[in-house]
Amino acid sequence: MEHSLSIGFAGNPNCGKTTLFNAYTGANLKVANWPGVTVEKKEGSFKFHDALYKLVDLPGAYSLTSYTMEEQVTRQYILGEDVDVIIDVADASALERNLYLTLQLIELGKPVILALNMMDIVEKRGMEIDLHRLPEMLGIPVIPVSARRKTGLDILMHAAAHHADGESDLPLIHHHQAGSVTHQTRPHPYEVHQPHAHDLDRHQRLTMVYSRELEEKIDALKELLRVKYPEVTNLRWHAIKLLEGDREITEKYPVDAPDILDRSYEKDIINQKYDFIEEIIQEVLVNRDRKAALTDRADGLLTHRFLGLPIFLLVMALVFFLTFFVGDWLKGYFETGLELFSTGALRALEAIHVSPVAISLIVDGIIAGVGGILTFLPNIFILFLALAFLEDSGYMARVAYVMDGIMGRLGLSGRAFIPMMLGFGCTVPAIMASRTLETSRDRFRTILITPFMSCSARLPIYVLFSSIFFPRHAMLAAYSMYLLGLLVAVVSAFILHLFDRRKGGQQQASLLIELPEYKSPSARTIAIYVWEKVKDYLTKAGTTIFIASIVMWFLLHFGPGGYSDDMSRTFGSLLGQWIVPVFAPIGLGFWQIVVALIAGISAKEVVVSSCAVLFGIGNINSGAGMAALQSALAALGFGPLNAYALMTFSLLYVPCAATLAVIRRETGSWKRTLLSAGFQIGVAWVVAFIVYHIGLLLV
Amino acid sequence: MTLHEGESEKSYVVTGLALPVALERRLEALGILEGTAITVLRKKPRGAMVISVRGARFAIGRQIAENITVIGKEAR
Repeated sequence: MEHSLSIGFAGNPNCGKTTLFNAYTGANLKVANWPGVTVEKKEGSFKFHDALYKLVDLPGAYSLTSYTMEEQVTRQYILGEDVDVIIDVADASALERNLYLTLQLIELGKPVILALNMMDIVEKRGMEIDLHRLPEMLGIPVIPVSARRKTGLDILMHAAAHHADGESDLPLIHHHQAGSVTHQTRPHPYEVHQPHAHDLDRHQRLTMVYSRELEEKIDALKELLRVKYPEVTNLRWHAIKLLEGDREITEKYPVDAPDILDRSYEKDIINQKYDFIEEIIQEVLVNRDRKAALTDRADGLLTHRFLGLPIFLLVMALVFFLTFFVGDWLKGYFETGLELFSTGALRALEAIHVSPVAISLIVDGIIAGVGGILTFLPNIFILFLALAFLEDSGYMARVAYVMDGIMGRLGLSGRAFIPMMLGFGCTVPAIMASRTLETSRDRFRTILITPFMSCSARLPIYVLFSSIFFPRHAMLAAYSMYLLGLLVAVVSAFILHLFDRRKGGQQQASLLIELPEYKSPSARTIAIYVWEKVKDYLTKAGTTIFIASIVMWFLLHFGPGGYSDDMSRTFGSLLGQWIVPVFAPIGLGFWQIVVALIAGISAKEVVVSSCAVLFGIGNINSGAGMAALQSALAALGFGPLNAYALMTFSLLYVPCAATLAVIRRETGSWKRTLLSAGFQIGVAWVVAFIVYHIGLLLV
Repeated sequence: MTLHEGESEKSYVVTGLALPVALERRLEALGILEGTAITVLRKKPRGAMVISVRGARFAIGRQIAENITVIGKEAR
């Protein structure tokens, strides 16, 4: 079915836009990047009254300037052909700030519907919004919704469908009409909203009218644009952008009018918009000064000047405890399933007389490699569940504030800690999140240290090796990896900071982040988030790990002399033995381990799946599988200390091919990508060396 | 005085911003303009603070707070 209508969802960050979007589309999302930039693009479909609508979740933005990539993406998309109507999602509890984007969206000239989200919070605070006056003042439909309780969804979609032609049936009732009194109640530094006798009729159709001086300039610019660029459709918006000195529009549509564009009027335009917003707020918002008690009480504890940090560490410890404890509890079922499947497959293949080589490829290669990785799914699931909870509740932004002092000492703003936190989940989105940082220097430093944060792909390595070699203290051994990763990240950041300071680096960027209202997380948002991560993990098992397992099987069963049962005469072994001398000083001088680590550059889980293939172990994460791996390793002389060195090296070296690709994309430079890969391998070697040699002294 | 010198749970009115243009525009887009009322909610010893502006909360770092000049709300 063809999409009959294309609807863009715009709104401030944290306004509940994604929750609302998910309420319509469910998990049927197409997630990609916007063309040319790595800003996430989400698209979904929604069936309404026998018509199929295309819904697009635009990046969260506070304004539509060309200062940040998110804002540029949003406005370019809206200006383009592909959008019929915009749903502007506003957090009604912070209406004043949200209306700023609304005014800019209206100015863009496409039909806009304002969806007032979080009305329940407004009511709880004892405030009221005049839902008759607000649409009159804005000239667009205003629909109260609750994304979490799913109320008002049909009405909103109905409004979008009927408003899409832009023929508003709403009378725009102006405050600047002759006879209006509101603007005279307060003294004002600017000559705003005075009745414009000469062009009153034309301005009747506009929501936002600027001062006479600006309106005259806009009119003059519109005329110039109309003559010079007949293809421009929204003349007023382009004229306003020229007055603001907007970089992109000025370059694209230069006009020669030095007397009109004698300076940047950006500040005046912002000021006048906020003046208008203040008028709206005074008219529509009742009881505006009541406090939001709950969030402030919670913040009193969670952002406490002394308790904030210990509370954060406790929260993270709890996350890891759940990951290991609950994950391990669920894991048993997966292992039983895999065991049954593996034996069944072996019997079936033998029964139909498949050649032994093919059986070995399927059972020892694919099922051992891919299946072994699937048994870690419960741990991964719990970890992402916990991270989704932290993100959706509003706590993440507080962490940026709590960590700002420490990060300041490392020359970074507290905001840089958010990508690092996300790095506990997956390094790829964490590196993409670093784009929210203000300066490119901060961004690159954050990109360099984020891979040290222990991502979920490294979890299988810790779970496996710490359960085998530190049975009594498995959780502690694994948790120590997380702390070590954090420590290495912090120390690296500090060294980079000293380096920069010696070179006379500029002033460090400062923290600026909104602290949203706390809310109990939406089950649906969390479910979709976790499902996407689980899906990613399964996809990775089915693609990267699948292929890596097959390649490993070939490398380990074929040598210069063809197929061989003796693994020590295969290509894999020859390659491993050639590189072994480099790894011997860090306690990893075993060709099997070297091969597994090299393969692990494709994805970290491959270190584990390679061990399964290397030692021919069917169900590596089960009790029997672990015992088999332990005895195989013990025969090589690989003990607990070697295992700890292996965990350390795995923690710190290049996370995966996907990380390298995203670093390349984000930094736009191969030199920086190779620099960061070399940096990670170097740090991994040095730290593993230190750990191994301290261990040798102690044992 | 600067916002950085502000005390917890007191309200101030912005009299000026002196920051790099991009940052200043960003603050203005968030509604922090000359004449805007700001309430300091809490402060950390090292300088980051939580402020309330137009019904929303923000955490801002010391370098930003030091470059926003304010006067006490009562003083006006």
